[in-house]
Amino acid sequence: MASPVTAPFKSVRVDALVVLKIAKHSSSAHPQVITGQLLGMDVDGELQVTNSFPFPSADPAASSGDFNDNNSSANAAAAAPRAKANAFYQAEMMRCLREMNVDANSVGWYQSANLGNFLNANFVENQYFYQSTLNERTIALVHDTARSAQGTLSLRAFRLTPAFMAAQKEGKFTSESLAKHNLTYRDILIELPVTIRNSHLLTTLLHQLDSPPLPANPTPFSLSTLTPTPLFPNYDSLDLSIDPFLEKNCDLLLDSIETHYTELNNAQYYTRQLAREQAKITAWQTKRKSENVLRAAAKQELLPEDEWTRIYKLPQEPSRLESLLNSRQIEQYAKQVDGFTAGATAKMFAVNAGLNKTD
Amino acid sequence: MTDQDSYIHLARPLPTLNVSPAHATTGPLNVQIHAQALFSILDHSLRRNADQERVIGTLLGVRSEDGSEVEIRNCFAVGHNESQEQVEVDMDYHKTMLSLHLKANPKEVLVGWYATSPELNTFSALIQNFYASNGEGTFPHPAVHLTMSTAPGKDIAIRTYISSAVGVNPDRIADSCLFVPVPYEIRYNDSDRSGLELIAGAKNTEDRTVSVMTDIHALERAIEEVLGMLDRVSDYVAKVIDGEAEGSTAIGKFLMNTLALAPKVSGSDVERMFNTHIQDVLLISYLANTIRTQIDLSNKLANLTSAAAPPIAATVTAGGK
Repeated sequence: MASPVTAPFKSVRVDALVVLKIAKHSSSAHPQVITGQLLGMDVDGELQVTNSFPFPSADPAASSGDFNDNNSSANAAAAAPRAKANAFYQAEMMRCLREMNVDANSVGWYQSANLGNFLNANFVENQYFYQSTLNERTIALVHDTARSAQGTLSLRAFRLTPAFMAAQKEGKFTSESLAKHNLTYRDILIELPVTIRNSHLLTTLLHQLDSPPLPANPTPFSLSTLTPTPLFPNYDSLDLSIDPFLEKNCDLLLDSIETHYTELNNAQYYTRQLAREQAKITAWQTKRKSENVLRAAAKQELLPEDEWTRIYKLPQEPSRLESLLNSRQIEQYAKQVDGFTAGATAKMFAVNAGLNKTD
Repeated sequence: MTDQDSYIHLARPLPTLNVSPAHATTGPLNVQIHAQALFSILDHSLRRNADQERVIGTLLGVRSEDGSEVEIRNCFAVGHNESQEQVEVDMDYHKTMLSLHLKANPKEVLVGWYATSPELNTFSALIQNFYASNGEGTFPHPAVHLTMSTAPGKDIAIRTYISSAVGVNPDRIADSCLFVPVPYEIRYNDSDRSGLELIAGAKNTEDRTVSVMTDIHALERAIEEVLGMLDRVSDYVAKVIDGEAEGSTAIGKFLMNTLALAPKVSGSDVERMFNTHIQDVLLISYLANTIRTQIDLSNKLANLTSAAAPPIAATVTAGGK
C-alpha cells in the first residue's frame, strides 16, 4: 500500500546517543513498557533522530491518589505520549532543549517491547495521535529489550499506512469500511529501514576506547592484565540456549490465538444475531404485505411498510480493529520464530559437526 | 587513557563544615561513567555556539550508600556565558531541567558537572563550589567534575576531579578550590552492549553509519570473527613454538583455561541431543508458519464473506487450531 509518493520519507537515521538513551531507559524498567519522545529533523527524505527524552512512567501523585495498581500504571506509561498531563512536561523539556541548540522538533516517539509484543490498540492510537494531530512526518521507534539482550540490537521504525489513517479517522472498523479502504491486517504499519550514525567526535572516542595503549610490559604474566577492551564485539548471538526463547514465543502465540478465537466468536455471535433480526424483519414485512393485500381487497387505507425500522433494531457490528491488530501480531510472532529457527538450526548443525569431530 | 596514568592518591578532602561521622569518610572515591553520559557530552559539545570555547552541564547518577562509589548515568547541558572577567551560568535553567529529569528518572541524583575543555580555571572553581554547595549542591558528598577535551584532531581526554577548599583569605574563598583527580572507569551495561557493539561497528566506515542487522547477519559476522580469531591465535602459537615470537604466560594460561572448557560428551549423546532439539525447533517453526497461513486465510475469508457467511472463516480457523 505504501507507495513512495505518500510516504514523506524513506528511511530513518538514528544517532548513537539516541540508541543508548532508549536502550538505557527501556532496560531500566524492563519488563514494563516505557515511552519517550524523539527529537530531530527531516532532511531530504530521511528522518534524522538526533535526541530523545523519556516520559515519566507513572505520576506518583496520581498513583497514590487513586488506587492504582501495577497494571494501570503500566497502561499510563503506554498511553503517556498522548496523555494531557504529559503535555506540560513535553513542552517544557522541548523549550529547555531548544535553548541548548538541540533539534527540538518532535519527530515521533519510542516504546520498549518484549519479544515483539508491541502491536496493540495503545500503540496504534499513539501513532495515530502523532501522525494526525502533530505532524504527518513522525515515526514510532520500537526497541525490543528482550531481543536486544540476545546479542543483536532490535530497533525498528514504524508508521501507520495512509489506508489505516483514513479508517481510523472515521473511527469505525466494520467490514464495510475495511473493504472501502482496502485494508487488511498487513497494511496497518509500514516498516522503515533504520541506520545508526556516529558523530566525528564519537568516532574518535570509539577508536580510542577500542585500542588502549599497550602496557609497558609486552609479555604480561598474570591473567588479569588480559581484560578485553570494553567495545569488544560480544558473541551472545552464538549462544545455544534456544528453548527459553521458543517457549516464550509459543506462549505469546497461544495467547494471541486465544484472542483471535474470542474475536471470531464475537463476530459469529454478531452474524447470528443479525440473521435472527433479519429473519424477524422479513417475517414482519411479509405479514404486513399480506395484511395490506387484504386491506386493499377491503378497500381500506394501506398500512406503511417501513415501520419495521422503528420496531426492530439491527445489532451493531463489532469493531474489527482488535482482530486486525491481533492478526498482525501473530504474523509478527510467526516471522520472529522463523528468523530465530534459521539461526538456531545453523548453530546446532555447526555444534553437532564440531563436537562429533572432536570425539 | 587516564586509567593507565599513575595518580598520587591524596586522602579524600573532607567537607569543611561539621558533618555526621557517616559521611566523614576519607576512603577513595571511585567514579564510573556510563557510555550514555559520554555520548551526551560529545553531542552537546558539537552543538555549542560558535563563539563558545567550552560548554558545561550537570551530571546525574547514583551514589552508593557510603558515598565511595559514584555512577554517572546521565547528564544534561546548561547554558553559560564566559568572558575574561566573569562567568554566568543559567541557574534557573539548571533547576528546571533537574526537576524535569527527576520526574522521569526518580532514582538519579545530582552528582556533579562536566566541562568540555581540559582546563581548570577560576571559573571552574566557582562553578565547582556551586555544585558542591550545601542545599542545592551535592553536599555533604563531594561534587564530581568531569572534563572532556574535545579539540578536533586530538585524542579525547577524560579526567574526573573532586575538590576541597583551600586556605585563602575569606573574600576569595568562593572562587578557589583544590581539584583532586580521582580515578574513573567507563562502564557498560549488559543492556547497552548490543547497541554499543553496533555503534562501534560504524567507526571504521567512511560515512559513519551502520544499519540495524538481522539475527542471521549478526550470526554470520560472529562466526566470521571467531574464525578470524582462531586463525590469529594458531598463527601466534605456531610462531611461539618456532621461537619467532616471545611467548606470553598470560596468554598461555588464558588458552589453557579456554581449552579446558570444551565439554566431554560422547558422539552418540551429541547426536541424540541434536536430534531431539532440531525436531523441536523445526516443529515449532512449522507450526508458527501454519498459524500464520491460517490467520491469513481467516482474515481473507472474513473480508470476502463479511456479513454473508463468516461462520466458514470461523470453522477454518477452529480446524487450524
